[in-house]
Amino acid sequence: MRNKHPVWSGFLLLIIGGVIGYVIGLGLEVLVTGTLNYSASVPSAFALLFAVSSFFFGLYGYRGITRGLVWQVIGTLIGGLFITGIRAAMGLKAFGDFFFTEPAWVVGELVGVIAFLFGVGVVSDWMKWARGIETPEHHEDVPTWEKYFGVSLDHKVIGIQYTATALILMGVGGTFAMIFRTELARSQLQFLTTTFHLFNQNGPQIYNTLLSLHGIIMIISILLGVAGIMNYVVPLLLGAQDMAFPRMNAFAFWVAVPAAMLLLMSLVLGGFDTGWTGYPPLSARAPVGVQMFFWGVFTAGWASILGSLNILSTVVRMRAKGMTAMRMPIFVWSSVATSIIALTATQLIGLSFQLVSFQRLFGMGFFDPAKGGNPVLFQHLFWFYSHPAVYVFVLPGLGVISELLPVFARKPLFGYRWVAMSSLGIALVGFLVWAHHMFASGMNEYLRVPFMYSTLLVAVPTGVKFFSWVATMWGGKIETPTPMLFVLGAIIVFLMGGLSGPPNATVSTDLHLTDTYFIVGHFHDTIFGGFVFPFFAAIYYWYPKATGRRMSELWGKVHFWMMTPSFLVLTFGMMRIGLLGMRRRIVDYDPALGFDTTQTVLTIAGFLIFISVVIFAINFFYSMKHGEKAEGNIWNSRSPEWQVPSPMPAHNYAIPFRVVGHPYDYGLPGSKYVEFISEPDYTHHEEVHPETKTH
Amino acid sequence: MIHVQDKKTMLNQGVLIFVYLGVLSLIEYFIAIAFDAVPLLVVVLLIKAVLVTYYYMHIYKLNLESHVEDEGSYEYKTGTNRLGLWLFLVSDSFVFAGLMVTRMNLLGLTRPPLNQVLGLLITMVLLVSSFFMNRGETLMNNGDRKGYLRNILITFILGVVFLLGVVTVEWPTAIREGLTPSSGPYGAVFFMMTGMHAFHVVTGLIFLMIVYRNARKGLYDQKNYPIEAAAVYWHFVDLVWIFYYPALYLIGALVLS
Repeated sequence: MRNKHPVWSGFLLLIIGGVIGYVIGLGLEVLVTGTLNYSASVPSAFALLFAVSSFFFGLYGYRGITRGLVWQVIGTLIGGLFITGIRAAMGLKAFGDFFFTEPAWVVGELVGVIAFLFGVGVVSDWMKWARGIETPEHHEDVPTWEKYFGVSLDHKVIGIQYTATALILMGVGGTFAMIFRTELARSQLQFLTTTFHLFNQNGPQIYNTLLSLHGIIMIISILLGVAGIMNYVVPLLLGAQDMAFPRMNAFAFWVAVPAAMLLLMSLVLGGFDTGWTGYPPLSARAPVGVQMFFWGVFTAGWASILGSLNILSTVVRMRAKGMTAMRMPIFVWSSVATSIIALTATQLIGLSFQLVSFQRLFGMGFFDPAKGGNPVLFQHLFWFYSHPAVYVFVLPGLGVISELLPVFARKPLFGYRWVAMSSLGIALVGFLVWAHHMFASGMNEYLRVPFMYSTLLVAVPTGVKFFSWVATMWGGKIETPTPMLFVLGAIIVFLMGGLSGPPNATVSTDLHLTDTYFIVGHFHDTIFGGFVFPFFAAIYYWYPKATGRRMSELWGKVHFWMMTPSFLVLTFGMMRIGLLGMRRRIVDYDPALGFDTTQTVLTIAGFLIFISVVIFAINFFYSMKHGEKAEGNIWNSRSPEWQVPSPMPAHNYAIPFRVVGHPYDYGLPGSKYVEFISEPDYTHHEEVHPETKTH
Repeated sequence: MIHVQDKKTMLNQGVLIFVYLGVLSLIEYFIAIAFDAVPLLVVVLLIKAVLVTYYYMHIYKLNLESHVEDEGSYEYKTGTNRLGLWLFLVSDSFVFAGLMVTRMNLLGLTRPPLNQVLGLLITMVLLVSSFFMNRGETLMNNGDRKGYLRNILITFILGVVFLLGVVTVEWPTAIREGLTPSSGPYGAVFFMMTGMHAFHVVTGLIFLMIVYRNARKGLYDQKNYPIEAAAVYWHFVDLVWIFYYPALYLIGALVLS
């Protein structure tokens, strides 16, 4: 089915579907409870599911993602009704506060996720293999935008799918942040008051839910963004045709979509007030939304695990000829380091959430002191992943910085070997630092000092990277197009994050800083500097490679100059009030503390960041069709993917290349990085820089 | 060490390893009963783990295809698949390790009250199933499809016996003796560890079913990596039990819940 204005029919159906879903939900609610409650959970849940599914139906028709979403809804209902039926037969309570009871929701959501995967068709090849039917190595390529809404095995398509999903989730998480940031602008409760009711929650509860969801949705969005860049870029840098396991690659992306739906569902199903960490004494008592959160994170974790498994296999097995370990681009090194963490540690956040979920369902008292459990154990399991997770976020970002700096400074990367090894160093030390989140948790005191020192040790490999960046820029012919601006911004912001880290790592100061806004400021600095800025840099940099057009420089610069100062104001302000005693995760603060002015400034800064990202998003979508054409090597890069015309052809390199030199020898006369095995004939390719003769 | 061998030597090697593993298991049980010496127990189970990883799971095969040049060939792709499977097993072992940490943290050097005879029996069943899995794989590598099918069927049946032994005999026995999931840390840890392991047994049985059916149709006569993959996964499930059996049944002082 073709229609001329898919986006508009999508939005139209979004509204219609939302209304229909709301009415159905309201009807069911009345049927089960007998009362008419307009702000109840079930109508909103149905409205959400129907709206999202109808949007994609209008956009794309009943195939690909639409089919997946419809099946997810059906699967959730079937799973839920099945358990409800069993409960009714056993004489237990069949319906709870949120329509289904908690076990029914858990089974329903898991069946829903599996149904999604079958519906979207990402497992069909495996099902054929299990029946002994062979399938072709690659699927047919659909030449239009439509391939992004269905299962594709092409790593470039999957990379873009990841990136787009990450941006959408970032928008959702950012919107949540804006809502609670607005509430925080003045002391006392303004609009999220106790009389405000939505989704079975009152104002402060909504605040808690939004804040927790902001955390976890941003984290999932970052994981998807990381996977997006790695998926798109790593095989191109290696000269591979695709990833080692294309089907698993597609699976890893598609499993993240139902996971995102589960996280959104948690908002309407009573929410959860635990923060994104979900510590048990609280999370064992939170509403059923916390189950959606647990299993949403669990499912999204598989995206991360399988994606990194794929990256590692690809790097080990599919490098171009001549690409020895010490000739791999830095971004590949950092992807390897990231993947090692994500492959192994992610299991433990899944396990810890699973254990809490089972504690709620079956009364297994892992973390319940009344039953001989230990709540601190949860924190150990949880942080064993969740601390290395921040290295999963920042290592690819730092890799992007090291990758892009030499291009725009026109100089070799300073200390290549040290930079490559520092990524692995951060990854390995990162496994040994988790308990620094728990200095105030009541764990054994003798653990504090070793964890303090191991944490401070992280500064060493990170410092190696900073020295390399400064030395690379030193005396270079620095050009500052938008990607380079974001790289420079990343270095500055990450430096702020790094400098505010040691006070948190040191036991004596951390005991005072724990759970204050200082932590929030520090964390946002590290993640923006380590991931978000490089992510934008990477998008501005590789966008022409993916689309054949470049994003508007002017609006890119507006984006940068609007975002960076506001962001620094935001985080410095957070650190200031944090030092003065502002607690994190609370909806209100005492006016006598005198934070009102700072909080107002923070809110304004927050909105400026939001607007700048909106500008970016418009630029991103507008430039796809209307951007300036850029098919050659517009950044004068030595990297192989820029030696072929943009957009990248379907199976990457028509002619394989051989690596004959070091990747970052910019400005060294006569140096060569890649050599195509037979001369490619790209007639419109210009010889752009006298020093980088690759042909 | 001994990689390329003729059929008879390989089959004999399988028997020998099985005998080693069985004897070590008995030694393990004896150590636990007689000495209650945890370090000694750990040494024995590490030896068992190394034997399984090397002789049953053939970890050295990761290094086999590195000389193959053609990246499109089945050999090269099999090498990639091997790497992928092993990476998955590394990832998966973190789940089991996490549960082990949970067990150590909550229970320390005590253990839940469990039926020792039953535990030893199901452990032996799993060990024997691993032996037949290895035998079947060896036969298939030597072109004996009939022998392979016979052995894998035995493996499958033993796997089902193990699963039923845990879920329908051992769990009810424990519950009858007051060890329920919600009764306290002992019950919680016991049901979580055995449950997670049983879940992996179920997936392993599904893989066995697939490779049995497809091999019977003659699909794996040339390209038989799926058999190796199912075998490695099955041995991995066995490997996990090598750690979980002592952790649940042998280590520490018995506590009556």
